[in-house]
Amino acid sequence: MSRVFDITLLLLLIACALAVIHTKDLLGAVVIFSTYSLVMCLIWQHRGAPDVAMTEAAVGAGVTTVLFLVAISKTVRKEK
Amino acid sequence: MKRALTVLLLVVVAIPLLYAVAQLPPHGSPTSPAYTHVSAYYLEHGPEEAGAENVVTDVILNYRGFDTNGEVTVIFTSLAAVFAVLLGSRKGDERLSEEPTAHQSPVSDVVSFIVRLLAPFIAMFAIYVILNGHISPGGGFQGGAIIAALVIVTTIIVGRKQAEAMVPIRIRRVLHVAAPLAFVSVGIAGLIMFGNYLEFPKTESLMWLATIWLIIVEIGIGVGGAAIVATIYWTMGDE
Repeated sequence: MSRVFDITLLLLLIACALAVIHTKDLLGAVVIFSTYSLVMCLIWQHRGAPDVAMTEAAVGAGVTTVLFLVAISKTVRKEK
Repeated sequence: MKRALTVLLLVVVAIPLLYAVAQLPPHGSPTSPAYTHVSAYYLEHGPEEAGAENVVTDVILNYRGFDTNGEVTVIFTSLAAVFAVLLGSRKGDERLSEEPTAHQSPVSDVVSFIVRLLAPFIAMFAIYVILNGHISPGGGFQGGAIIAALVIVTTIIVGRKQAEAMVPIRIRRVLHVAAPLAFVSVGIAGLIMFGNYLEFPKTESLMWLATIWLIIVEIGIGVGGAAIVATIYWTMGDE
């Protein structure tokens, strides 16, 4: 059961990573990237590293996303 | 042609890599090299020797304190880099006098209400995470990131001007260096008392002192990290 959970999360992670690369809309890419962080956070937690999971959730999914959004709001939204 | 070459190159690189991965010891195996050197010692002696029940905190702040000292300096340097890039073209404190009247889209009442409702709880959780870093998972970095997130959502609600006014610039300048400052203070205290930079008390009678030092460093990292992330956000959001 645990293995199925792990594999599902890892597949989700790969899907998110591919989606980030292939999304032309930068805002969408940022949102997917924060999903990536959230999945990664679950994996850390499941792997028994709650410290890293907390950091991933706060920094990866939270702060980085906001900084990316600010950067986008300063530039253009679509990839040329 | 170029594409075929790329694929060939990738395969050539991938085969040795996959071969190497297959040779790795299984995940969690007690005989893997990573677990046979110092890990066993840390797990066995960490809690009573290093001043914190949470072994992760023992390792990052005590056994490998020097490493973490460098890390907090790197975080501070990142702020310096942001300042150098974003404020380099401006003169002095001109940015404080000129009001950035860029139109701010009005915040919805729902968002505003929820943030105001949750803010005290987020703050309390952040303080809990920082102060309990030596007992439970968490610590300065995590708590600091939570505080920074709180400051950022507050800024979105009340606007940057008002949010910045909550922390005067003079205090903020000190808060930016809080993490390196706390580390260096503890390091020098160790230098004076035990003869080595960042040497923590090891004897059982001085365990309380080691715990206090750990908490000081945790608070420094938390406050300093939060101040730095919030300031990077404010500086980037500046027109």
